[in-house]
Amino acid sequence: MNALSQPSPLKIKEAKIASSRRSSVFTKSCFFTPNTAAAPSRSDLLIYSRFTAGASATAPERRRMSGAAMATSNVDGTDDRISRIASTIRVIPDFPKPGILFQDITTLLLDPKAFKDTIDLFVERYKDKNINVIAGIEARGFIFGPPIALAIGAKFVPMRKPKKLPGEVISEEYSLEYGTDVMEMHVGAVQPGENAVIVDDLVATGGTLNAAIRLLGRLGVTVVECACVIELKELKGREKLGDNPLFVLVSET
Amino acid sequence: MFAAENGLEGDPRLKAISDAITVVPHFPKPGIMFQDITTLVSNHKVFKHTVEIFVDRFRDMDISVVAGVEARGFMFAPSKALGIRTKFIPLRKPGQLPGEVIAEAYELEYGKDCLEMHVGAVESGERALVIDDLVATGGTLPATIRLLERNGGEVVECACVIGLPALKERRLLNGKPLYVLVEPRA
Repeated sequence: MNALSQPSPLKIKEAKIASSRRSSVFTKSCFFTPNTAAAPSRSDLLIYSRFTAGASATAPERRRMSGAAMATSNVDGTDDRISRIASTIRVIPDFPKPGILFQDITTLLLDPKAFKDTIDLFVERYKDKNINVIAGIEARGFIFGPPIALAIGAKFVPMRKPKKLPGEVISEEYSLEYGTDVMEMHVGAVQPGENAVIVDDLVATGGTLNAAIRLLGRLGVTVVECACVIELKELKGREKLGDNPLFVLVSET
Repeated sequence: MFAAENGLEGDPRLKAISDAITVVPHFPKPGIMFQDITTLVSNHKVFKHTVEIFVDRFRDMDISVVAGVEARGFMFAPSKALGIRTKFIPLRKPGQLPGEVIAEAYELEYGKDCLEMHVGAVESGERALVIDDLVATGGTLPATIRLLERNGGEVVECACVIGLPALKERRLLNGKPLYVLVEPRA
């Protein structure tokens, strides 16, 4: 299995500096549209991406770049796409409970280009890499997983809450902040020796992804990578995953 | 209406879709013949057929919104939204969506349940599709239609992979056209 390279994800904090100039998304009258006057200019987006590669957390200095430099530093538009994706994610404070900053991807799904770009970025990474299985975690992993599976020719396998899947299942218990939960998958959905990528919208502590890794491992499947739109770095999910690679598009510092 | 009566009669994709569904008797309770679509979504070629058929149908209907209901609807609806380049709106069980929501209760066989949708996700006058895995005679799709309409959307059609034969005689679901690919397997 070829090792997949790890480009650094755009830091969401820096991406939000661009989006704070817009009015808040999701009010009925002024819903986010990508072509509003307040959207960040192309040169600004490129400056952000140059500053995130190994950058410190200070705000980037805003400078104009020449046309020639813009072309070479953003060859396939990846940085532009990731900046746009990051800017469509809405943060809701104190949900589901006080103190939590919830990363809401429903606003991303309302921007057809951002949604398409999200899927394309994962597809570009995983196609022609002999990935047989895309495992999606209920429920938001069901939104991103199937389009990726369809585009790369893999099967989609849902990893579900207990008692939802009919037929023969295996279960794995995992820890939550308070208490435990259980994840299930179908025996027979996968074959030993297959290669899988696990997809979810967000990685926090890594508990859910770890449960999925264990379930697939018990059936002889190799988990090549976990793929999420967003990573909450403070919660150290990447460390909890240990040797299991994690790929994300947007990193909340 | 069933796809076979609407231009797709004899289309081998419909048989492939039907064959890919697994029937699990007496799940979740005795007497129910559960239509398990996990064997469909794990069959890449057949899963792709469902996307092609729906996208071909809806591509030129000036749709700007596709809504899908948690959780199995999430496996089907987003790929169609991507295929016709529209927004995707998730409709969810209570307490799952952050921010401002509207809720609609609906009847189950025993008791009630509730669906929620974000306020402002649909703009007034937008043409919407609802896509789900299966329509029985339950209240999920009508509740979805009501939520979209309360937000000002115009529901153009409901589309499902599987639909009960009883619906053959009733082409409209609460006044909205219904498009179904296959009947449940015995």
